[in-house]
Amino acid sequence: MKNKKLRRIFDAFLVPVLAIISGLIVMAVMIRISGAPIIESYQVLLEKSFGCEKIGFNCPLISTLERATPIILTGLSATVAFQSGMFSIGQEGQFLMGSVMAAWLGYAIQLPFGLHQLVIIAASMAAGAAYGYIPGLLKVKLKVNELLSTIMLNLVAIQIFIYLLEYPLRADRTEVAHSHIIEPTAILPTFFRGAKFGWGFVIAILAVIGVYLYLWKTKSGYEMRMAGQASRFALFGGIPSDKAAIRAMIISGALSGLAGAVEVLGVHRRIMGGFATGIGFDGLTAAILGQRNPFGALIVAILFAGIKLGSQLGLQLKFGIPRELGGTITGFIVFFVAARKFYENNIERVREWFDKRRAAKLEEEVN
Amino acid sequence: MDGFLSVFTIELLNSGIRLATPVLLAALGGTICNKSGVLNMALEAKMLMGAFVGIVAAYYLNNSYLGLLAAMLAGGLMGSIFAFLYHRYNINLAILATSFNLLVLELTVYMMRVMFGNVGTWSDPSIERLPDIAIPVIKDIPFIGRIFSGYNIVVYASWAFVIVLYVVLYKTKFGRHIRAVGENIESAETVGINAKLIQSLALFLSGAFAGLGGAFLSIGHLKLFTRNMSNGRGWTGLSAALFGGNHPITTFFASIFFGYTEAFAVRVQNVTELSPQLVEVLPHLATLLILVLVAFRDKIRVSLARRKFRENLKKAVASQEEG
Repeated sequence: MKNKKLRRIFDAFLVPVLAIISGLIVMAVMIRISGAPIIESYQVLLEKSFGCEKIGFNCPLISTLERATPIILTGLSATVAFQSGMFSIGQEGQFLMGSVMAAWLGYAIQLPFGLHQLVIIAASMAAGAAYGYIPGLLKVKLKVNELLSTIMLNLVAIQIFIYLLEYPLRADRTEVAHSHIIEPTAILPTFFRGAKFGWGFVIAILAVIGVYLYLWKTKSGYEMRMAGQASRFALFGGIPSDKAAIRAMIISGALSGLAGAVEVLGVHRRIMGGFATGIGFDGLTAAILGQRNPFGALIVAILFAGIKLGSQLGLQLKFGIPRELGGTITGFIVFFVAARKFYENNIERVREWFDKRRAAKLEEEVN
Repeated sequence: MDGFLSVFTIELLNSGIRLATPVLLAALGGTICNKSGVLNMALEAKMLMGAFVGIVAAYYLNNSYLGLLAAMLAGGLMGSIFAFLYHRYNINLAILATSFNLLVLELTVYMMRVMFGNVGTWSDPSIERLPDIAIPVIKDIPFIGRIFSGYNIVVYASWAFVIVLYVVLYKTKFGRHIRAVGENIESAETVGINAKLIQSLALFLSGAFAGLGGAFLSIGHLKLFTRNMSNGRGWTGLSAALFGGNHPITTFFASIFFGYTEAFAVRVQNVTELSPQLVEVLPHLATLLILVLVAFRDKIRVSLARRKFRENLKKAVASQEEG
């Protein structure tokens, strides 16, 4: 019994781990192209992503967790959408909507500490949810391909974000546009001096647990998963899969909106030009590689944040390797996960070979 | 009012056609794929790859026309990889396409920086922009000459491809096979059509079209490469193909529409005080709107077909009862 469960967990991890290993091998080639030493590069990458000398002084691990926080949330957002059968990649747009809402309410309203954060988070989640509702509705009512509609909504959101930043929310006429700094009552407290790592991460972890409980322990979550896995079956079972899909898109949007609020209240404390750096897409890849499981998304988000931070702070500064290396590697890893059948076929072959050998040995012993 | 009317000039007509070209090429790629039953959501990646490979090849080979060829090959190769993985390992198309899109977005910038130093935008004076060609007779006709003449070879090629694709799809055996595979892959296979080969060829051609569209951006329209240069044009192309009902001729007009939306946006920015964001969002909003319209059209079509079917059924039942 226990053995079976272990085997299942092992199987779930096998393909992602093989994909990551393949990605790291490709990375060696990419580093070689740029002319930097390979072994040292890996060392620097590890040191600058998951190393830690002294907390608060030189601890990239804390920075990695801080970077991972919004990616965990957008990863959960994509996870919920995927589980309901919606291949939504609108996390980027929903994230931006949540961020703008948080940056605006952060300085525009005055509330006591504690309540202020709650109000902002609720409003940001609502903004993200509203933006997620649009493609959900279009898909269910009109069968508009959600991939196409969310891509376009992302592009629209980027322009809306820049417009709001440049005109209504702009604080002053400096070279790079930025909004007013949020009130002290709206800031999410941090744990250590000198790092922005704080309550945002706790919120993200709570969200991981919440999404897990919702999807696997509630009736509504069960309906959603059934709608995603077998919509025909769900229909015959009396599950309204349309409603489940729309609900999933609203929850998904709310989670991305939450990511925006956490990023603004916890890290930047305002929005500025260059704010959107692909956190939505990182979340998307985390959800794909995390096997549409909330805990998987959590692990992968931290891993990806580490790879990106390490290639930016370590490889770019030390060896002059372009920082896009991080993004390229995560792209390759997702590509390898997409090709999971390749690994599965070969794993099957290796297993068969072992089984045959074992059978042959047994036969020998019997004889 | 005078300020607004000054938007509409003959330059607008020209730039509309220029801006429609990459969208049209992507849309033709989308058309041929959709016809063969594969929704090609990696057009954006193939286009961006074409833009990068096109300008790099033009730089190293000292010839922009060879750059175009290289871009088409790169796009086609990506299409073939796509087809191989899809058929051999039965991969989820949406995930595969997404991984392509993410990968190419980062990989092109990485390669640009590795090859040409840490720059955000790369260009080199030795690269030649594709020359504009005046068509001998047409260029002398007063108004029409200004509209239809004076573009580079890619623009004319894209027009030619529209006609070639129409002829291939509707007048040849190969085209019949493509459509048969797209309509119903099982029945196509039972009559002996090699569906996998057909889809692979469609994906190859589709990639080549998208790659050419990308090269038009980097060596035909501008003369540089920058991060995310295609900026959603591959997706717009796919939408244009859906809007055009996957028919080359109607897809052509859909692409022209998108080209003019973009040209209009650029032009409005030049002559009015409107904020650039409000204008830049226009092409994307237009694409969304078109997607919704397409969905409405399909819905109405289905309900009409259903009604007709019911009426026919009623008639058949009635005539049987009489007999």
